[in-house]
Amino acid sequence: MAAQNKDTILDINELKVNFYTYEGVVKAIDDIGFDLSAGDTLGIVGETGCGKSVTVLSVLGLILPPGKIESGDIVYRWRGEEKNLAHQSGEFLRTIRGNEISMIFQEAGNALNPVLSVEKQVSESFLLHRQGELCEEVLEKISRSMEGKRGVRRLVLRCQRKTYNRKLRKARTNSLKYGRYGRLLKNEATKRTVSLLGNLGIANPSEVIHRYPHELSGGMQQRVVISMALACNPSILIADEPTSNLDVTIQAQILSLIEELKEKYRSSILFITHDLGVVSEVSDKVIVLYAGTLVEYAHVRELFKHPLHPYTEALLNSVPMLGKEGRLESIKGNVPNLVNPPSGCRFHPRCPHAMKICTEKKPPQYEVRSHEGGEHLVACFLYRNEKQQR
Amino acid sequence: MNFFNYIIRRVLLLIVVLIGVTLIIFALLTLFSPEQRASAFIKDIKQLSDINSIIKTYGLDKPVYVQYYNWLRQIFRGNFGWSTTVSRTVLDAFRFFLPNTVELAIFSAPLIILGGIWLGTLSAVHRDKPVDHFSRFLAIVGWSLPTFWFGLILLMVFYGYFRGLFPPEILGYEAQAYVGSAEFVRYTKINTIDALLNGKLWIFVDAIRHLVLPVITLTVIQIALVMRIMRSSMLEALGKGYVLTARAKGAAPKTVIKRHARRNALIPVVTVSGWLFAQLMVGVVITETIFNRKGLGWWWAHAATQLDIPAVLMAVMFNGVLFVVTNLIVDILYAYIDPRVRLG
Amino acid sequence: MNFIKKRRIVIDFEQHPRLKEFQFSFHKILKNPLSLTGLALIFVFFMIAVFAPIIAQPQYEHEPFRIPHEGYSVIPSPPGPGHPFGTTTKQYDIFYGVIWGTRTAFRIGFMVVGSILIIGVIIGSISGYFGGIVDEVLMRIVDIFMSLPLFILAMALVTALGRSLDNIMKSLIIVGWPIYARTIRSSILTLREEDFVKAAKALGAGTLKIIFKHVLPNAIYPVLILASLDIGAMVLTAAALSFLGLGAQEGYADWGQMVSLARNYIVGPQGQPFLYWYVVTIPGLFILFFVLGCNLLGDALRDIFDRKLRRK
Repeated sequence: MAAQNKDTILDINELKVNFYTYEGVVKAIDDIGFDLSAGDTLGIVGETGCGKSVTVLSVLGLILPPGKIESGDIVYRWRGEEKNLAHQSGEFLRTIRGNEISMIFQEAGNALNPVLSVEKQVSESFLLHRQGELCEEVLEKISRSMEGKRGVRRLVLRCQRKTYNRKLRKARTNSLKYGRYGRLLKNEATKRTVSLLGNLGIANPSEVIHRYPHELSGGMQQRVVISMALACNPSILIADEPTSNLDVTIQAQILSLIEELKEKYRSSILFITHDLGVVSEVSDKVIVLYAGTLVEYAHVRELFKHPLHPYTEALLNSVPMLGKEGRLESIKGNVPNLVNPPSGCRFHPRCPHAMKICTEKKPPQYEVRSHEGGEHLVACFLYRNEKQQR
Repeated sequence: MNFFNYIIRRVLLLIVVLIGVTLIIFALLTLFSPEQRASAFIKDIKQLSDINSIIKTYGLDKPVYVQYYNWLRQIFRGNFGWSTTVSRTVLDAFRFFLPNTVELAIFSAPLIILGGIWLGTLSAVHRDKPVDHFSRFLAIVGWSLPTFWFGLILLMVFYGYFRGLFPPEILGYEAQAYVGSAEFVRYTKINTIDALLNGKLWIFVDAIRHLVLPVITLTVIQIALVMRIMRSSMLEALGKGYVLTARAKGAAPKTVIKRHARRNALIPVVTVSGWLFAQLMVGVVITETIFNRKGLGWWWAHAATQLDIPAVLMAVMFNGVLFVVTNLIVDILYAYIDPRVRLG
Repeated sequence: MNFIKKRRIVIDFEQHPRLKEFQFSFHKILKNPLSLTGLALIFVFFMIAVFAPIIAQPQYEHEPFRIPHEGYSVIPSPPGPGHPFGTTTKQYDIFYGVIWGTRTAFRIGFMVVGSILIIGVIIGSISGYFGGIVDEVLMRIVDIFMSLPLFILAMALVTALGRSLDNIMKSLIIVGWPIYARTIRSSILTLREEDFVKAAKALGAGTLKIIFKHVLPNAIYPVLILASLDIGAMVLTAAALSFLGLGAQEGYADWGQMVSLARNYIVGPQGQPFLYWYVVTIPGLFILFFVLGCNLLGDALRDIFDRKLRRK
């Protein structure tokens, strides 16, 4: 992408992810790179199976065998520090997950544990990452309630204080283990949960926390999932098709909620979807993925008004839009098998403008002059006369 | 439908099934001739000498439905008949043999359930690694073992070769004598517990020594089932969305396994536990016979070979009731653990 | 130039997805070492059963299952010339017994399981597909049967019918079908609501056609897996019943019966505990390996046909 902006919060370079399966090596992600600027919403668009989820899962290091990040860098920049997430240990990544970078998923119903109450699941986010603060609050409470008490009561409170001081020491390094939290700590976490749920537009949060996921409506479930993700004020929120399973009215609610929260918490968002309408509404910038490769990147208005890559064009032509007349075109051909992907540009078998070079070499990203402002990059040999980027 | 209604429904079902069980037992009864059936109704062996009057009294030559009613009436009066193999009434015999079987069950059941859960979790978490293959293999071999043969082999090795390390029967001579004497107070009639309650540690140790082989025999074979179920349900749970969410929240792997996956995975295991008790009873029949421990199983095995009909009927009855009741408890537990079930 | 192509009969797997799936399954069986072992074991036993008359020549012309015995001595004698596995109590030749016992085992396993499979599938299918009061009644009967442990009920039945191997088999059949009925019923119930059945209905397919072409082929898998595991279980149960003395009469070639003969000679005299090891160990090992083979195969089949685990 363009020269490193001091605003860039996430910088992905040449990411390659493979899955080693019974049927062969699936080259799921082939050399993807993009930036996320602070405060932006980056829409990630593509058909099912094009690698959107795999890309963001690798950011958080959540790819499990038989998948493996073969190569590439995932540089995370925050508060002056820079860390390559692709090379970090599991332990380190756990401090980031749910804390500085959070993720929400498509099916809220599946994302919630059916045997745990809402309270337990949302508090978990606080208990995992805000142990120090919670301990301090508990200690303060104990100290306050110690005033004016004598005898046995005072003794009991002193014992409690000792216990929680011990916990505090562990908590500073966030190494307080599950099971050792203790009732008071959990109560503090619950308090925070209640106010968080209230902020997310859930009515009667102190009642809702005792419910179980299957007792909630789809929209409510998604709100709970979002609250789990936002509990610790993440700087990046990854939303993997959060509204795809909801009906349109709820979808609108959730989308506006996400907007609101983005303003409030000042996070950046990676928003995955296959729905172009949603993309146009939420994103500032958009990247288009096809079969594990990045084919186009532009600011949202630019992309919709001036799509350059044949795939993007075809996508936009297959969706009804205001002001457009004529037939909807479907894209001929099928999504390629990623065990044996097409040579060169992965889209060439379905591309109406395919040239010989498209079957031989992978097109690099070319920077194109944009009409609506911002950068516009296309990975297509049609534009090979433009300035080359990566 | 809330929790309470759920229980009511299950209890009603239980009653229907129990009635069905009595029908089956009665059907079995009709397979015997009236003379043979007589022993199912008497309370004392002397009564057998006057078979004809028994047949008259209990209407054993009357139509089937009358007989069913008569028989049911006897059952409700507590008259289960006379067991010829042990020369006492069936009810007495039951009371006499129960403690020894319970003793076996107390030691085997926790081992089976907890061991199975532990092995199953281990297998699932380390899928396809050596640990997994080893425990799965062990589980399959265990499941394929003929109970009776395994027990005999254990006996041969540990009793024969290691010169009486883990002997058969229930207690050694000395312990048996002491237990029978007046000094030893029988609280529960279960040797191990009574020994502890009486403060006689040596009897306790002796009883344990005699328990080792039978418990191993019972456990090894059943543990395969629990382990297999735990493993597959754990694998399923680990693939679910909430596990990914938990990992995305930054939870440590142990927490993810214990708190999120395992709790869900235990649900099918609870379901199978009920069935496990029934299987335990079955295993007990063979095990007690091999190790010559006089418990319910031993009694029933002898009854079957010697045509002691009331005892055999008692076996069917007891197991039926046990199975139905344990399933009810399991269902209630299940509803308690899995909040989704409560809403029906 | 004309090229005259020879007509070849090629099975194009792409055109016949079901065959391809079958080939895939078969490959998976061969790849997995455990299932391969199971297959090998069963194959070996099968060969033994087939060639029994040759391996161990019957002494009694019309009763090949009677184990020959030279003499009536109660004390077993160790393996030696003429008796490769030794003799057990009353001088029954162990080798002969276990060889012909293989045939007995196959007979028990396949006849019992075959019967309960058919009975169970028929009853369960009727119950599952037609529902209503038929379903309720049938399922209550199934519930009642299933609330009694198989072994105990079979034991009681054999007591009532009289001890013999055939009666053991009959009892197992009477007691064993309910679980098949329930399994196939639940498969059918699940499948009945699946979209592809509704689609078939919408396209106008008749009831019978739907059952046989769409529902049954999918519903049958869990039942088949159950059956493959049950073969071993039934052989074990029958052996246990025989061991208790409820089965074939003494001298009949049946593994369980042979272990029963060994009951008094488990542990040898003082100082020679393993003197009579062969009486109990050898028949037991045969049982163990037979059941092991069945279970390994059954387990492998289950793993293969489990839709979620199929393509890892």
